[in-house]
Amino acid sequence: MKTAQLTIKLIFLSLLIAGCSPVNEVNVYTSRHYDVDDILYAEFTKKTGIKVNIISGSGGALMERLKAEGRNSPGDVFFTVDAGNLANFQQGGFLQPIESEFIKNMVPAELRGPNDEWVAIAKRARVIFYNPESVTDDEIKNISYEDLSSEIWKGRIVVRSSSNMYNQSLVASLISNLGIENTEDWATKLVNNFARTPQGNDRSQLMAVANGLADVAIANTYYIGIMLAGKGGEEQLKAAGKLKLAFPNQDNRGAHVNISGGGILKHSPNKDNAEKFLEFLLTEEAQTHIVNNSFEYPVIDTISPHPIIAGFGDFMMDQTSVADFGKYNPEAVKLMDRAGWK
Amino acid sequence: MRIINQKFWNIFTCFVAILFAIPILLIFVSLFFGFNDNFSHIYDVVLFEYSANSLLLVSGVSILVLFIGVVTALLVTLFKFTGSRVFEWALILPLAIPPYLLAYVMTEIFEYSGSINVLLRSLNLISVDSAVPTIRSLTGAIIIFAFALYPYVYLITRVALMSISKPILDSARVLGTSKFKSFTKIILPLIRPAIFAGLALVCMETLSDFGAVQHFAIPTFTTGIFRAWLGMYDLNTAMQLASILLLVIFIFLFLERNQRANAQYSSVNDSKEVLELEVLVGVKNILASVFCLIPILVGFVIPLIEIISWSVEIENIFSSKFVNASFNTLLLAISAGIITTIIAVFFNFNLRIYNSKLMNVTNNFISLGYGIPGLVIAIGITQFLTYFDLIFFDTGIIVTGSLFGLIFAYVIKSYALTNNVLENNYKQFSTSLDDSARTLGSSQYNLLKNIHIPLLKTGIFASILLVISEVVKELPATLILRPFNFDTLAVTVYTYASEERIYEAALPSLLIILIGLIPIYFISNMIRTTRKLN
Repeated sequence: MKTAQLTIKLIFLSLLIAGCSPVNEVNVYTSRHYDVDDILYAEFTKKTGIKVNIISGSGGALMERLKAEGRNSPGDVFFTVDAGNLANFQQGGFLQPIESEFIKNMVPAELRGPNDEWVAIAKRARVIFYNPESVTDDEIKNISYEDLSSEIWKGRIVVRSSSNMYNQSLVASLISNLGIENTEDWATKLVNNFARTPQGNDRSQLMAVANGLADVAIANTYYIGIMLAGKGGEEQLKAAGKLKLAFPNQDNRGAHVNISGGGILKHSPNKDNAEKFLEFLLTEEAQTHIVNNSFEYPVIDTISPHPIIAGFGDFMMDQTSVADFGKYNPEAVKLMDRAGWK
Repeated sequence: MRIINQKFWNIFTCFVAILFAIPILLIFVSLFFGFNDNFSHIYDVVLFEYSANSLLLVSGVSILVLFIGVVTALLVTLFKFTGSRVFEWALILPLAIPPYLLAYVMTEIFEYSGSINVLLRSLNLISVDSAVPTIRSLTGAIIIFAFALYPYVYLITRVALMSISKPILDSARVLGTSKFKSFTKIILPLIRPAIFAGLALVCMETLSDFGAVQHFAIPTFTTGIFRAWLGMYDLNTAMQLASILLLVIFIFLFLERNQRANAQYSSVNDSKEVLELEVLVGVKNILASVFCLIPILVGFVIPLIEIISWSVEIENIFSSKFVNASFNTLLLAISAGIITTIIAVFFNFNLRIYNSKLMNVTNNFISLGYGIPGLVIAIGITQFLTYFDLIFFDTGIIVTGSLFGLIFAYVIKSYALTNNVLENNYKQFSTSLDDSARTLGSSQYNLLKNIHIPLLKTGIFASILLVISEVVKELPATLILRPFNFDTLAVTVYTYASEERIYEAALPSLLIILIGLIPIYFISNMIRTTRKLN
């Protein structure tokens, strides 16, 4: 009984100790939880002496926590991997303008939100991967997302579930450009061309194409980088070698690009630190670290992508307003439901 | 004086119970805000599919779990066959592997280049280019859940079987009842409540899962909840869907409790005689061994080997982060296990003494927490805790995002586990015991401390350990409610998996299994001691 009492006391004591924290800090609410980011944060702390505190979760969950915390929230920075989320936070009034001149100089206006309420930290394109053995040059030349609804692709396309936010952003961008009706028509035909019911993650789609289960896949650019760098093991390295990449819509509006980005939270108690943190992520050093480890595209001009990614060549990026991704996301979800995109 | 005291005690307990029920009630509040376009869209377009899939999933899992769980429990408790001593505890092992992890592992195994296809190709059973069907299907999901969750039914059924007293069975045999008849007429009615208690847990966990069904892209009711919230940015509609799911679960719980209330309970097994085990020989012996071996292989051994093979694939898998995460996981799991059990003993004691209706309803209501997707219950808890912070600390956020908040969440999330165990345990000794104690002038406190707690020992241990194994695996509530920089093993695995770097998740996954094994070791030891004592 004595030991039991002591255990309980110890537990409560450690709970209390774990609750304490130092003062010079920046509190980051993030839905981007990459291992490589941890190294970056440690570097930031070494340079500035500011401790980085992390709380992560899905964008929607973080928003509810912020909403509940209200003006008492300890959150300083919001950081996420999906533009729809950023737009949603901005419209919900969770962010405040970033005043830093450094950031305004480094990042082009289209990669900053309305009133500079958020800034992109890295880019990723959602592109078409194909197997050159089963797809002809004619078929893939000047391909667009719209072309994928054509009958010639029947039973040849794989893509993941419509619950995935990257697919939701892509469809939202199509709604913004083509309107709901045309997009729904496109989605319905696209679903008819699926080689299998949507399942697995982006990498599973690439593996499916490499293994001949399908001819083309829609997936994000950085996955091929991770696979080609051997970070996914032997099998994936071999599979990735069989694939080629096509940037869609190069003769009109450009390939759909999604961003990782961040903003300063409205009730930030450590606003200066928050600004320093975002500035740091946009330095050449931090950008180099990001492109070399997460295989995303940089947002500043002076840095080039990782050689593997750069090897796929330059491309034209779709300039559709990121705010539209957020605006049309709910419509996109419903439209995909109606089209039968699981 | 004593009556006033009792009343106060009863009211106080009810008050505490209601405090825990509030976050669940907050979910139902959404029903009063009216149904918008998003709800009618879901209702018109996808609700039927979601419901049908959830229903198929839960029915399939139930049938399979009943078959595996009950048959294995009967085999190892009533018979002696090759390996039966080992199967006794080994059958609990799959409890250490959470369904989402089993889903990831099985997908990898059944991938085009996964172990199964490589094996079949090397044996020339399939051609070089072909592959077995992928496991990502409804059937696949049913299999995953069944093999991950059958231990609940196995465990609770086995404990009940062991408390059937030998004299009952003996008298049946003396009276010439056939074996089959003695099973259907005597054993089955006695263990039926336990089977259903276990099954209720399995169903709730299946319905509330998001990780595994999302990975398999099977649109279930939970998918609908998350699409409404994270895709349509409409939390209210998501909560309304969650309320509907909860109402269905509540009705089933109610029916289950009702049928349990009418069930017969065996008296405490006070017989000192050991239930004689029938020795199986020949074909029966082999069949029994194979039957028990399959769930252990599928639910534990094969996934374990696969995860170990991942860790070989990647260099430098060790990170000091894992040490911290393991420590955090243990700290949380043990605290939550002890606290939840203390609360459940306290509530169940009160319920037994006063038999208050309000307490009864509240008790069932908190059990619902187990059936809600973790992320949804986390929202209710966040709202509740921040109100709490606003009222008590006007300087800032203290409880939200603290370990207290997190443990509060775990109590709600895992209350059903402790409650189902303790409720069953409590019913095994008669209330006449309480009456005699009171006649002899014992106070309530004495009754609890000196009579109930010693009798509930098995239940208390089992419930602490079940909560520990649950918290070790818990993910969604932890993600959103945890303090800054506080990683648990499940969070670490999730981080890698969501980044599609499943191989790097190998080590934290192994640690989850390892920590999950600790409670399993204790549970099985405890059950064995009970057997020896009898």
